[in-house]
Formats: sequence, structure tokens, C-alpha cells
Amino acid sequence: MAVKAPDRARCIQALDDLVKRCDGVNAAMLALRDGRPYAERSGGRVEPGKFAAMASSLLALGSSVLRELSAGTLDHVLVEGGAGKLVVANVPGSHGLLILAVLASHDARLGLVLGQAKTCALEVAAAFPPNGE
Amino acid sequence: MKQSYKMVFVGEPGAGKTTCIAALSDIKPVTTDVGCTDELAMIKETTTVALDYGELDLGDQGRLLLYGLPGQSRFRFMFDVVRAGLLGVVILVDAASSHALDGLAETLETYADELRHLPCVLALNKHPDPPDTFKQQCQDLLRKHKLVTPILAVDARKRADVIRVFELLFVLLEYGSDGAPRQEAPAWL
Repeated sequence: MAVKAPDRARCIQALDDLVKRCDGVNAAMLALRDGRPYAERSGGRVEPGKFAAMASSLLALGSSVLRELSAGTLDHVLVEGGAGKLVVANVPGSHGLLILAVLASHDARLGLVLGQAKTCALEVAAAFPPNGE
Repeated sequence: MKQSYKMVFVGEPGAGKTTCIAALSDIKPVTTDVGCTDELAMIKETTTVALDYGELDLGDQGRLLLYGLPGQSRFRFMFDVVRAGLLGVVILVDAASSHALDGLAETLETYADELRHLPCVLALNKHPDPPDTFKQQCQDLLRKHKLVTPILAVDARKRADVIRVFELLFVLLEYGSDGAPRQEAPAWL
């Protein structure tokens, strides 16, 4: 079944809302599953093409590792470093088409970033037309 | 413990990297394929977005660790992920494709800086006997990037062909090292 295109304006609004709602979020991106940028809000902090490609690689590697370890399906990938945190997750309801990547500063609260990323992903999911439309 | 050798395949999407590793690996290969969302979907359903991984037992010679990288240049950073301890690089070309030279040109544009410091082989896949003119055009592209690399025709699904490539890389490593710094493994390994 061909996936219908989401409402792009709603997707961008969801990214805007995430950046506004969550202190410390520096960049938010929607990437296509094969590593191409779809929409982003980063204020020039990241190079979108590379960010999208890295997000899709991380998600695919995370899924492969869980599969190999019989550890279920992937919910999200979290990478923490001394100067920042990165959360990458599939957008539910997008038939595996879209990936959400959120880059936050090191002092951002992890629970908040994860929760807001999930909320954003659901908002993006709602931007896809229901089946049959 | 058996000696392990790490070999990486690069090349345009559709060159046969994933198929090669799936056909040769003695273990179930690790794959990171996803459905294509661009014009590539017209020629193949899926594409690798991180890496393929497989292992090939060489008996007394050791074990070959096979890595395949995505063909699109946007995944160039994956080379840095697999670089440590590389024996060499195989540039795989779909010699039967009408876009083979464009694909090779993009691969060389992406990886030439790395390839100048590592043993590498240009492997012409999917064609039993690539024409001399085609080989010459490949050679010209290599020269353009200041690369001196053996070119050979292979069936990348065949164990004997890939072992031949491995042995060639080994010879290149032994006699053709450019003295570039390499990351040494600790002595206890």
C-alpha cells in the first residue's frame, strides 16, 4: 500500500512546538528512513543532509542490534555525550517512512526530552491522512 | 584465536555489496536495509543505511570480516565507523550497468582521500568479461583521483573470487604500504 504524503505544514508545526516546549532542544529533524531530510528546525546548528543520514543509520543499527539480541522492536535510540543528547525514534503511523531526531544540550532534562519527542512524533503521525483518504 | 582481517566494500547503490556479503557469510549477516524513498526505488526495493556485516572462514588463513557500506555519498561518515584496523577496501562496480562509470565516479569522489592510504582493489561485478574499453575508462577515473589500483572481474557472490580479492589486498598491504599511520592493536590481542 502506498503511503500518502503527510501534511507538511503540520509536521513543521510539530517540530516548532517541540523546540518551543522543551528547554535545551537545539535541533529537531524529520528524516526519511533512507537518510534524506524531510523537515528540520535547527537554526543552522546542524547540517541537515548529514544529520538525516546519521539518524537513519543509528536507527537501523539499533534495530539490527535488538533483532540480533532478540530484544524486541526498537522504540528509540539515545546517545548521550559530554555536550549533548540525541534521541532518534520512528514516527508511529508513518509506515516506517519518517524518523524523528532531537538534539538537546547536555543540561536538558532527559525525561522531558524523551517525553516531548514522543509527543512530537505523535503529532507528526496525526499529520498523515487516515487510510483510504 | 584465529587471526581476523577486516575488509570493507564500497560502491554505488546496486553494485552488489549486500548480495555479496549475504552470499558469502558463514554467519547470518547483519543488515540495515530500509525501503528506498527516492528514484532508486525504480531499480531496487531496499538500500543499506548503515552497514552490512558478515564473516568468512578462511581455514588456516584466519577469518575475514566483511563490511559493506551504503552506496550514497551522504553516508560517507560510516567509513569512519569501520576504519580502525582495516586490511583494505574493495570498490565494487556493477559492470553491467549503463551508469557504472557515473557510479564509480561518485564513489571515488566520496572516498578517494581514504583510498589513497589503504590497499584497495577495483572489482568489476555482474559481468563475466568486462570489455577492455570499460576497464580503461575505470582506469582513467582512478588516475584522475591519483589512485593506482588493480582492476579485476569478479562474481562477488563466489567465495573463490572474494578470497582472490582478499589475497590481492594482502599483497598490496605487504608491498604497497604508503607508510601512512595506522592504528595498532594492543600486543595482547
